[in-house]
Amino acid sequence: MNRRDFLKATGGTIVAVGSGAYAFRFMTQTNTRFRHAGLPEGQTQKLYGMVIDLTKCEPGCTACMDACRRENNIAEPGAEENHERWDIHWIRKVRMESGVGEVHREREIPLLCNHCDNPPCAQVCPVQATYKRHDGIVIVDQHRCIGCRYCMIACPYNARYFNFKDHHADWTNPDHPKRSHGVAEACNLCAHRLDVGQKPACVEACEQIGCGAIMVGDLNNPTEGELHNPEDLVSRFIAENPVQRIRDDLGTEPKVYYYGL
Amino acid sequence: MSEKKKTGIIGLIVLTLIILVPLVLSIIPVGQAGSQDLDGVFLEMPADSIQNCIMNTDSMRYHHWEILLGMRERVVRYGIREEHGLHSCRDCHTSRERFCNQCHNAVSMDPDCFGCHYYP
Repeated sequence: MNRRDFLKATGGTIVAVGSGAYAFRFMTQTNTRFRHAGLPEGQTQKLYGMVIDLTKCEPGCTACMDACRRENNIAEPGAEENHERWDIHWIRKVRMESGVGEVHREREIPLLCNHCDNPPCAQVCPVQATYKRHDGIVIVDQHRCIGCRYCMIACPYNARYFNFKDHHADWTNPDHPKRSHGVAEACNLCAHRLDVGQKPACVEACEQIGCGAIMVGDLNNPTEGELHNPEDLVSRFIAENPVQRIRDDLGTEPKVYYYGL
Repeated sequence: MSEKKKTGIIGLIVLTLIILVPLVLSIIPVGQAGSQDLDGVFLEMPADSIQNCIMNTDSMRYHHWEILLGMRERVVRYGIREEHGLHSCRDCHTSRERFCNQCHNAVSMDPDCFGCHYYP
């Protein structure tokens, strides 16, 4: 065996043993902390979406906004610590105009985080505090948020807000945390309620006043797993009606659908 | 030459000691004040009918924060809401002032859980 062959054999052995050991360790490690949590047996992956039926939405009604404030411990507008300059609306009503002259019309539409399938806010987040959950909800991990506000700039719907102040309002819902000052936040589609099988607060409030304009459900599964009556299936509604999405041209693939926009 | 060497060795020993002193002192418990504080901690315990938390008391005392961090990660990142969490702590340990803060104050810990989460 000459020197060249010897070096080749040695090098080859080192590479093979090293990579083998690394692969073995990688495959057999049991640290599941950062691994994606699998679904329970017999469940399909959900993809939550929302439909807002503007033909049922009443102008001037603020039931969804009030319910959202109560659910998420956001201080009432006009309170001393909640000046309108830093007021937070997870869902808000926006006045939209279309047409000129005789076809001109105005309407108020509820606007909230659109839970984009391709969320710009999550793309720009430098610490991955904003991210898309496996069921499609775009959510902020306020423990990680550093308050850089890139997501507020990136969001094309202006649906994200920044906590300029600490919240000192009363606890209207002790089961849901407040946010401390210096973090960004947005609608999380009431993930804490959806996880335990309840409807989001705005949906519930809209049904209670008899409008039923907001619907939330599974876009993946058209037949079951809905939170609503069988005739209110979200995916069926989207398939059967001419629904629109706001700023669909941006390619963010929002999951909030509007009917009668 | 040997003089220089000797000075160098002495200097090295002195330097090592200077570096070691704070390390050693930090291991040796200094005085009685600290331990008295810890002995005087009054924890409001839940009713006698409740024997253990979700783990035994010693494990909870040292690892409750790790358990809470793990729960936090599972809830916030993956949406897995288990039976226990910070909200179920307050079922038994009803007061933050009389339970959580007693130890946290004694060891100068200031966890910011309660800035956002409700705990009476």
